[in-house]
Amino acid sequence: MNFLKTFKPVLQASKLNYTLMFFISLFLLSSCEKVVDLDLSNAEPVIVIEGNISDQTENQFVRISKTIPFTESNSFNGYTGAKVTVTTPSGILINFAEVSKGLYRSQRFRGTPGQTYKLEVLADGKLYTASSTMPYPVGPDSVGFKKLSFFGNSNIYPTVYYKDPAGVQNQYRYLLKINSKSQTDIVFEDRFNDGNAVSDVIIYDGDDIKSGDIIDIEMQTIDRNVFKYYFAISQIGGNGGPPVAPANPDSNFNNGALGIFSAYTKSTISIVLK
Amino acid sequence: MLFLKNIFLTIMLLLFCTISSLAQDNYTVNGVVKDSLSGETLIGVTLKFMGKAQVGTSTNAYGFFSYKLSSGDYDLSVSYVGYRTINRKISINSDTKLELNMVPDNILDEIVISSERRNDNVVNAQMGVAKINLSEIRNVPVLFGERDILKTLQLLPGIKSAGEGNSGFYVRGGSTDQNLILLDEAPVYNASHLLGFFSTFNSDAIKDVSVFKGGMPAQYGGRLSSVLDIRMNDGNKKEYTAEGGIGLISSRLKLEGPIVKDKGSFMISGRRTYADAFLAFSSDSSIKNNTLYFYDLNAKANYQINDKNTIYLSGYFGRDELGLNETFGFDWGNTTATLRWNHLYSNRLFSNTSLIYSNYNYVIQNFLEENNFKVSSSIRDMNLKQDFQLALNNSHNIRFGLDLNHHTIAPGNITASASSSVNEVTVEKRKGSEIAAYISDEWEVNDKINMVYGLRASSFFLFGPGNFYRYDAEGNTTSTKAYSSGDLVKSYFYLEPRISASYQLNSSSSLKSSYTRNTQNLHLMSNSTASSPTDLYIMSSNNVRPEIADQVALGYFRNLNEDKYEFSAEVYYKKMLGQIEYRSGTDLRGNRNVEADLLFGDGRAFGIELFLKKRFGKINGWIGYTLSKTERKFNDINSGQWFLAKQDRTHDVSLVGIYKASERWTFSSTFVYNTGNAVTFPGGKYQLNNKTVFYYSERNSDRMPDYHRLDFSATLEGKPGKKLQSSWSFGVYNLYNRKNAYSIDFRDDPDDKSKTQAVRTTLFGIIPSITWNFKF
Repeated sequence: MNFLKTFKPVLQASKLNYTLMFFISLFLLSSCEKVVDLDLSNAEPVIVIEGNISDQTENQFVRISKTIPFTESNSFNGYTGAKVTVTTPSGILINFAEVSKGLYRSQRFRGTPGQTYKLEVLADGKLYTASSTMPYPVGPDSVGFKKLSFFGNSNIYPTVYYKDPAGVQNQYRYLLKINSKSQTDIVFEDRFNDGNAVSDVIIYDGDDIKSGDIIDIEMQTIDRNVFKYYFAISQIGGNGGPPVAPANPDSNFNNGALGIFSAYTKSTISIVLK
Repeated sequence: MLFLKNIFLTIMLLLFCTISSLAQDNYTVNGVVKDSLSGETLIGVTLKFMGKAQVGTSTNAYGFFSYKLSSGDYDLSVSYVGYRTINRKISINSDTKLELNMVPDNILDEIVISSERRNDNVVNAQMGVAKINLSEIRNVPVLFGERDILKTLQLLPGIKSAGEGNSGFYVRGGSTDQNLILLDEAPVYNASHLLGFFSTFNSDAIKDVSVFKGGMPAQYGGRLSSVLDIRMNDGNKKEYTAEGGIGLISSRLKLEGPIVKDKGSFMISGRRTYADAFLAFSSDSSIKNNTLYFYDLNAKANYQINDKNTIYLSGYFGRDELGLNETFGFDWGNTTATLRWNHLYSNRLFSNTSLIYSNYNYVIQNFLEENNFKVSSSIRDMNLKQDFQLALNNSHNIRFGLDLNHHTIAPGNITASASSSVNEVTVEKRKGSEIAAYISDEWEVNDKINMVYGLRASSFFLFGPGNFYRYDAEGNTTSTKAYSSGDLVKSYFYLEPRISASYQLNSSSSLKSSYTRNTQNLHLMSNSTASSPTDLYIMSSNNVRPEIADQVALGYFRNLNEDKYEFSAEVYYKKMLGQIEYRSGTDLRGNRNVEADLLFGDGRAFGIELFLKKRFGKINGWIGYTLSKTERKFNDINSGQWFLAKQDRTHDVSLVGIYKASERWTFSSTFVYNTGNAVTFPGGKYQLNNKTVFYYSERNSDRMPDYHRLDFSATLEGKPGKKLQSSWSFGVYNLYNRKNAYSIDFRDDPDDKSKTQAVRTTLFGIIPSITWNFKF
């Protein structure tokens, strides 16, 4: 039994994620896990688009791929030959050129908070479009660590402190790296702490943090649809709760494409655990 | 205006009920049948009057009967399973009141698992009904040795478990919230403890259980799929007794006795689990300080004021408590109270008036300094029921009444201290009333045909105060309207016909058919497969229409070998409207716009249920088999095509065997098998920001592995004749240690991130249990 999975819901309860108490009882009832072979059917490949525009002057990227069968090795099944453009609110068309299989890159530019961007992808003769509005930036005031202990298992988790702007709906996304290795991405919203000094504990299921480790955190502000998309993924992933009926998260693309287009702001902070 | 019209229609229906009685030259025989030792009234006792012809009736839920006979001499036979049959000669030359006390049959050398008259299943017009006798529950093996009526019910055809060890159940393709669960008439909103592994019903306190999975009589309403009507024990009117049990994870105690001998009695029964007791043995303080337990308390008192009036007061209180290290607390539970007044207006008109309160709530607290908060949520009912039973003449038994139920739902209220980063949030309360009037007639048309037909006029009114929203197809708010207290926001009115008829082919076989319509105005928001303490109910509103179900059923009933065997085959078709799912990514917590994220669709279910029961003898038990299909259809799911519902299980088999080996030893065993649930497995995968995400194509087009399990139990009764009677129960759950899949999750292989794997979680392997029961 995976201890973190057991207690993750409790930890998240500190962020009002109180619905997920289930695995506590599973622990007490000594459940067991086993890897099994299943005969899974293979669905027709579907296009997946992951588009990003940040508020930093840099090359922006769009990744286009197709789904692969469950039994294959995890890999990015890049899609070649798509036509990719982003339109700014003032009508400027930005082209993205394919730099490697499925990876499309723009010239260096930055998005402006408050503006709505439209991404268009022409692939297999079908046009896929999505829009995203870049939120206003909110940066971290500081990053610290929290030691949380349940049933004798204790771990250290990074915690981001910031002041949430009052009166607006904000959504946050964190990307956590430890010694340059990606650990998790996780989303939060301010529904229960609008306008307050907030501390978001980044609970993750990966390498434990040790003294001397370099912790990189990218804090993003994301629009509502993007938040719902990532929140749905975390819900389907079980999130430590009872089994839910899985479904694809609602994408902001039309025409049945999977994936998400996000215009976001970012600030990064790096810290070493003493 | 619509409101007035609905009220008017409701009243009209009531007026229609006051039919003038027909001319008569017969006399009425009525009375109450009781247990001679405890004074407990007996439900469903068969009375036969043998004169020129043989006629008969049975007692109602309060042990009362009323029957009309022409003058003359009769041989009266009163029979009830587990009791000595009373044979008595009576002469009828005026209205007669009978006081019948039945002596329990202590020298029972066989176990009887039916309390109905022997061929009642064939003769009665009612179909889709099952009664559970408490002696059945006593012997059927169960998880952790905890007797549980909800789990025993799941062994009947047409009733399926919502999951391993789960007390939630699906009836004929309906979801768990479509079952009306009544405890002494009070609706119970969350009928489970410890997240579904135990039901809230302590068997010690229960007298009688009936379940209707179709052909619901008109006095019941408000849910689509089934009615589970549970009645508590009244208490011993003659002497004080105590009984209880000590088990591995819980203990229980029941006390009962007279308040005034033969006039009134009380019963009080409690239960407490100690699942967390083992934690205290840990030397680690962070383990030691956790709590996880539940307790419940049933209490009932009754007093017979005179021949015509009896009052009952009963209540239930149960609570689950979970605490982690003084950082986190979570408790939830039901409270119900019922005050009842039985009154005889005449020897033919029986009345029951009930005032009912029911409340379910939960409280979650986080004590961490900077993020502390407290969340509370509740649903509360204030319910008045007036029911009349009129024995019009020997071929018509009329039942009519009113049911007024006022609901208040507080979806979520978050409070926090000033130092917390959490803001106080309140999701507005919602108030609504269900008002229903009903009339039904149990009609013996002739020797061959019996029928119960009736009509329930049900209405629902949603009231202010509060802000009510309208949404567009994407779930964005398009308008907000504020209502003041008492303003009518929305109302619905439906007529629900209920008819069930039997045609007697011969003395041991019959054909039955039924048609019923049910509507539902309380909807449970839950997309998880297990019941959760934080399940949220919403009412029908300007955005949510009532759920409607129409069900037709046809059945063949036959008894064999002098009623020793009972066989039935029922086919049903059910069509459901207004079924609810919600969009992926919906967050129910503290969400005032939950209705924006709902999807509405249709459902259909059909199947055949076969049931063969051996009712008495040293060996008895039953086999149930269901072949069925359950589907749902939503515009935004599965491209608008029908898909299998999570309730769908093609084959479902239950086998129950009980063997009375000697006077002291009883062995029993159950076997269950069902097709795995319809589920959605990934049809592919993709990489998003270097993380694997699974792609789901068709909804519920895959199956979990088949589920099967064998349980066994043995009961050793203590030596008879002692003042203290005791027994030992030994049980083994999942005897051959089948690793049934509770869930199957998909993830990257932790040892090789380039691969993905499917992981099966099994909840219960083989689990032994032992319980010591006593009574004195």
